[in-house]
Amino acid sequence: MAAAALREQLNALLSSMFASGLVDDQFQQLQMLQEDGGTPGFVAEVVTLFCDDADRIISELAALLEQPIVDFDKVDAYVHQLKGSSASVGAQKVKFTCMQFRQLCQDKNRDGCIMALAVVRNEFYDLRNKFQTMLQLEQQIQAQQ
Amino acid sequence: MASAAAERKVIRVLLVEDEEIHKVLARALLRSAVGGVELDEAGTGAEAVRRVRDGGASAGAYDLIITDGKMPVMDGHEATRRIRAMGVTTPIVGLSSDTFPSDVDAFIKAGADDFTPKPLSKEKLVRILAKFNLV
Repeated sequence: MAAAALREQLNALLSSMFASGLVDDQFQQLQMLQEDGGTPGFVAEVVTLFCDDADRIISELAALLEQPIVDFDKVDAYVHQLKGSSASVGAQKVKFTCMQFRQLCQDKNRDGCIMALAVVRNEFYDLRNKFQTMLQLEQQIQAQQ
Repeated sequence: MASAAAERKVIRVLLVEDEEIHKVLARALLRSAVGGVELDEAGTGAEAVRRVRDGGASAGAYDLIITDGKMPVMDGHEATRRIRAMGVTTPIVGLSSDTFPSDVDAFIKAGADDFTPKPLSKEKLVRILAKFNLV
């Protein structure tokens, strides 16, 4: 596919990610840092770090919430970490879900935490798919240049 | 000390942060916001204290210290307390995604000069650098 058509696809994807609230201004900051700093792989690096972190944290949370006695301090610490990294990459929906999740941790609401984890997981998977598509399109555009 | 940094045109910053994603972002922002930056990193509060002490506490190894709150081994609040106990007056800024007044207070009571919520951004960084006359 020609670079122009790929670029159009990429722009449409990014627009929809912003419009749906998947990502916020912080993601735009990352894009600007990449352009201004002349560091082509910067957004990919941050996105990859976020996805790896989130994957790991979600697995840890699932394991903690399966325990007969839930250590809510540990759960909260992981959710705090995920909230921080989602904020840094501009993952708005994931960040907001983490904020609600933390409240449930503080209430020591096990069922609520299990539901919140399911929501976080879904939001993250949705975002990760979009990020993967974005990175693939960028690679294809680069290859044509 | 701030005017010396401005004259030198290179700012020496100690970033205290354990998570790679925040380090990558801070590095990029610092390099973007500041013409010349020498960046040291510490992954724990304990390492930060050691770097400040070994860098020559009285000589003022750093122009600015930016520190996360929660870290393994030693957190940012304790590191701030210990750095201040050495008599170091370098500006210290707490950086955390915990932003309740009690979280901010914890940093200020430990001796930090300022606090900024995560995520770090160009705007926040420029404000910090201007506040401490580092640009």
